[in-house]
Amino acid sequence: MEHTKHIWRAVILLLAFAVLAVIGRHFLVPETFGEHGFYRYASLAEFMSKPLVHGGAESCTPCHQEIASAKQTGKHASVSCEVCHAPLAVHASGEEKIADMPVDRSVRLCSTCHLRLIARPETMPQIDLHEHLELERSEPVPDMVCGLCHPPHAPQVE
Amino acid sequence: MNQPADDNHLEREAQGQLTRRSLLRRAAAGLSGVAVVILTGEEAYVWGSAFQEAPQGAPAPVSYDPTKHHYVYLVDIDKCIGCGSCVRACERENQVPSGYFRTWIERYHISRTGNEVIDSPNGGRDGFEALVTGELVTKSFFVPKLCNHCSLTPCVQLCPVGASYRTPDNLILVDEQRCIGCSYCVQACPYGSRFIHPETHTASKCTLCYHRITKGLLTACIQACPRGVRKLGDTVKADDEVSEIIATRHVHVLKPELLTDPNCYYLGLSHEVR
Repeated sequence: MEHTKHIWRAVILLLAFAVLAVIGRHFLVPETFGEHGFYRYASLAEFMSKPLVHGGAESCTPCHQEIASAKQTGKHASVSCEVCHAPLAVHASGEEKIADMPVDRSVRLCSTCHLRLIARPETMPQIDLHEHLELERSEPVPDMVCGLCHPPHAPQVE
Repeated sequence: MNQPADDNHLEREAQGQLTRRSLLRRAAAGLSGVAVVILTGEEAYVWGSAFQEAPQGAPAPVSYDPTKHHYVYLVDIDKCIGCGSCVRACERENQVPSGYFRTWIERYHISRTGNEVIDSPNGGRDGFEALVTGELVTKSFFVPKLCNHCSLTPCVQLCPVGASYRTPDNLILVDEQRCIGCSYCVQACPYGSRFIHPETHTASKCTLCYHRITKGLLTACIQACPRGVRKLGDTVKADDEVSEIIATRHVHVLKPELLTDPNCYYLGLSHEVR
């Protein structure tokens, strides 16, 4: 046939296109893409393997049994240790202590929760710092003053 | 000159002979057919092989199966004291850059005239100071916010590269390797939950501490909350506390008019909150 050559050309062209498409997809489509939808499923495992920073209150108890049990009896039982201190990751690695845990004794530490604000629910114990310390409005609030009367781990408030 | 040639073509075509025109026509039809085969065949190949191959990267905890969980989130506004512990915990747990927030707290002051004063200094990270609005405030409260992990979210729909996605356990995550940082999703999110990370230049958002909840731990924000404002629920579990609250109490979602079907529910939400 006089047109056989044309047909073969078209076929070869198509095959080349198909091979290119397969090779292109192999390099462009990442592994596990499309496994559960239009995304890379391996991404989930990557999120899962991110390191833990906060250990939770239970992670402190093994070494700090005394404080942990004292805390249970007080008004701060529901406050996780890491809220006032720092996350476990800066202090311990496994059972090894790697650095001192920061201790914040500033008024700011207490006032973030206990400063009187109208937006705060009334069930929350709140104070006006100047009123509570019987200071003039112009006077600055002395730092690290709360801990002098209120033990932070187990405050007993009437 | 052209006219006779065309006539000649039509004549030959009518006789069933192969002309250049008919060849091209048939080739086009054939090409599209072959293309469909190649593309669909290749599609089947990729999808099939993905099921057999183990996911790359760190292995997932063997005990965790994303298809066996369905997370929902609950915020009890009446309990929130605006201490910002959740914002600080989130920042530390997820290395959130300063000035950006995966969760934040807004404070509302509402007067009888309907005037609203809303603030969120540094996302509520450092707590709040007393604020004088100059009007008699009749209602004031804190609203913790985070990604709503919407079921019908615009952020996943418009992601051009499949970086934003919905997980089988009902979360919205961003694949950092896929994200090209176009920030379409940042603009599309009606809740302002996303930002472009200043270092990676990819979209970043609340992951509901996926590295924690998949190990059976609580999210950093829930763990840090001293008042039990935030709760994580798993609707698949029997006797799930959050599912029970959603089923029995008056819960609300943010911007329901946008039909994004959020999975973050609010107890005690006031209509002023947007």
